[in-house]
Amino acid sequence: MPLELNETTATLSDVVTVDEVEPLVAWLRTTIKPKVNLRRCNHLHTGALQALLLFQPRITSSPTDAFLATQVLPLLRGSSGGPVLPESEPP
Amino acid sequence: MNPLLAQFLAEAADLLSQVDEGLLQLERDPSDPELVNEVFRAAHTFKGSSGLFDFPELTRLTHAAEDLLDAVRSGKLSLDSGMTDDLLAAFDLIRGWLAYVTTHERLPATAGPAGQSLIVKLRGPLGGEQATVNPSAATVPAGPVIDRAPDWLSLFDEEWLEKSATWLSSTSATMRFIRFTPDQGCFFRAEDPLHLVSQVPALAQLDLIQPFEWPPPEEYDEYACLIGFVLATRAARGELDYLFRYVPDQIEIVELNGDAIRRHLTGEEPPEPRADESAVAAAAQSQAENLELARDAYAILTAAQRSLTFGESLTGVRLSAVARSVAAAAAALGVPVETADPDAETLNAQLTSLLTEARPTPDETPPPPPPVERAAPVDRGRADDPGGQVGTRILKVDQEKVDHLMELVGELNVAKNGLTFLADAAEEEFGSRVLSRRIKDQYSGLHRIAEELQAAVMDVRMLPLSVAFSRFPRLIRDLSRRLGKTVELVTEGEDTMADKDVIEALGDPLVHLVRNSLDHGIETSADRQAAGKAPAARITLTAVADGDAVIVEIADDGRGIDPDKVKRKAYEKGLISEEELETLTDSDAVDLVFRPGFSTADQVSDLSGRGVGMDAVRASVEKLGGAVTMRSQLGRGTSTRLRLPLSMAVTQVMVVSVAGQRFGIPVDLVVETVRVPSGELGRVLHQDVVVLRGEVVPVIDLARALDMPWTADPAADRAILIVSMHGQRVGLLVEQFHREVDVILKPMEGLLAYADEFSGTALLGDGLVLLVLNMKEVLSLAARAQ
Repeated sequence: MPLELNETTATLSDVVTVDEVEPLVAWLRTTIKPKVNLRRCNHLHTGALQALLLFQPRITSSPTDAFLATQVLPLLRGSSGGPVLPESEPP
Repeated sequence: MNPLLAQFLAEAADLLSQVDEGLLQLERDPSDPELVNEVFRAAHTFKGSSGLFDFPELTRLTHAAEDLLDAVRSGKLSLDSGMTDDLLAAFDLIRGWLAYVTTHERLPATAGPAGQSLIVKLRGPLGGEQATVNPSAATVPAGPVIDRAPDWLSLFDEEWLEKSATWLSSTSATMRFIRFTPDQGCFFRAEDPLHLVSQVPALAQLDLIQPFEWPPPEEYDEYACLIGFVLATRAARGELDYLFRYVPDQIEIVELNGDAIRRHLTGEEPPEPRADESAVAAAAQSQAENLELARDAYAILTAAQRSLTFGESLTGVRLSAVARSVAAAAAALGVPVETADPDAETLNAQLTSLLTEARPTPDETPPPPPPVERAAPVDRGRADDPGGQVGTRILKVDQEKVDHLMELVGELNVAKNGLTFLADAAEEEFGSRVLSRRIKDQYSGLHRIAEELQAAVMDVRMLPLSVAFSRFPRLIRDLSRRLGKTVELVTEGEDTMADKDVIEALGDPLVHLVRNSLDHGIETSADRQAAGKAPAARITLTAVADGDAVIVEIADDGRGIDPDKVKRKAYEKGLISEEELETLTDSDAVDLVFRPGFSTADQVSDLSGRGVGMDAVRASVEKLGGAVTMRSQLGRGTSTRLRLPLSMAVTQVMVVSVAGQRFGIPVDLVVETVRVPSGELGRVLHQDVVVLRGEVVPVIDLARALDMPWTADPAADRAILIVSMHGQRVGLLVEQFHREVDVILKPMEGLLAYADEFSGTALLGDGLVLLVLNMKEVLSLAARAQ
């Protein structure tokens, strides 16, 4: 299952498609201090990325997927607008 | 071949001939708006469906043709014979490509350049602005051309840019920088920009283009794409063009070296965008090598001039687009021009000088003037040139004609069967055994042909079950959304074939069953999680062929049917007696949902649950000669299995006689035929029974049930036909068994329509009318008679 929504934590795994975007956004809207676990996520649909950018949940664990970890995660970490922070390498 | 592609090719052949015919008529009568519309629509359809396949050249060329036709349609241009020639040439070229596709399933290797030159010509009358993108992309010179650093470079991390600039300068290398701005509605076209980005090879840096202002969360539309990307890559230009080939209008690619980036960082203006020595040298060199390129460039220049002199004044974006294309073409010809701040007059003047300058190049054959070149493809694609076959030829035939053919095959079968009676008569009445044998020989030949004919006609009527399944993804999506449930649909065996009548008749019962599953069977995600299941439910539609039947199964992993609840409900509704309430087995209890007037849902919803569901399903499936069975495991799910005959046109019946009259019984129901001595018929309560292999089978006297006076010879053995109805065995006492025959069943109509005990009539070979029994009704008739 690409999307598992719990009370405060959403776990995204495998390939997150456009079908998962709506439930994810609905969850982000209603959840206070949401946390998102991306560890087992292999691909994030643009819509999901956009939702994470807008709602800025805390990313609890970084993805193992190379593209997501090196290119996409820095965007999420430094997404307070303006230039991307230099120390945006995944920890 | 991919069935979608086969269908596209078949349709393409139609569309192409439509376009051809339309264009020719249009040339005679260019003012007819209806004609233009027709051709435009055909071209538009063609472009649309070509986009489904990996034929970018084809899509681009049809797109160019469509744009030209659109301009003609809207009255911006009037069609002249030159344009008609170009259009015809374009579609001839496409026809050639498709013939190639038909055999090789890909476009010929020459498609790119051949299409490109036509695109340039088709774009010519439109101002040629689109042509600039493609020729410069397709014919980029061997050496890299350093572009001017765009403003959006500032979206990248400055420190990274600094480092990259230093590295690129010291290695005198370049990098490609891309700005990718997907449009808002791209998610609806199943595009995923980030996925595209993730496929970019050798991606060095990725950054976001965020919206100026994010909408407040409550107004946020998750299906509108608001973001874009800027990325830097070491991938080659060709790789990028290929990767982004479907969204060329959403990307901007620039090639930058260290100096260009540094100039951007310091805010310094570039010295001269096109005066870069190496670029010109490289362009000049490639020009010498590549005569085609020079010709293309020349065509662009001509097109640009045509658009400038076209009358309509070009301004703003279009003018600068033309200017860019002129600059690119000029560079390719080795005559760089200054087009930094163009206006129409200076550009025109430059063009005129360029055209005269470029034409008499001494070391190459002069590029042929446009009219000559335009005539060439017309000559190549003459109308008498067969040009290969596009797709397999497909006839569209009215359904009624096929039905009529089927009826005729049935009649032929009946007439053919008459020959065996004739052979018997020849021997018995006229005493000629030789004639009888010759008739039988003739019969066997005719029989073989008739069988083949029947198989061929049946084959015409066969459709894949995907036709019946195709509406479910949408139905399930809509319903599950309305019910707030998460449901995943899995279909298997969609390519199983069945007669079109079966497929059509299957539609309604299937919809009923799927709705029932969604409404009653599947729980909400929360309930599912509480029960320890995956939050998303799964509905599986499976079709398998089973001999001359097709089995369709609808299975869900929902809550299943509670047999106790069903029994209680049935008892409350008076459908079963108190005694049955105690004794019914669980599987029999599940079967209760098929009883008329049964509905388990506590609340009637707008989807299903009005108590007309399952009995209607069973009735309509049985009308098709099929059967429905349901299995359910409480908490694990329900599966409903429909067994349907592959074809409804021909029914196999077993002929029996009762009181001297012959009747047909569908062979599907027949289990076996037995003869028992009359003494072995027992009687339990008021019911005759026979014991077969340790099982007590009730026996019904068919003659009595049908109210036909007949007394069996007390000494003779009893002929009993065992049939199976809803899994129960029933014996039918008959007078005599005859053989099985294939008949075309005609429903009871008119004055006989009330006679429910017969499902139809059929004509036998000897001219006799056979009544085919509807076993369900006959059995209930017998039950009432007792």
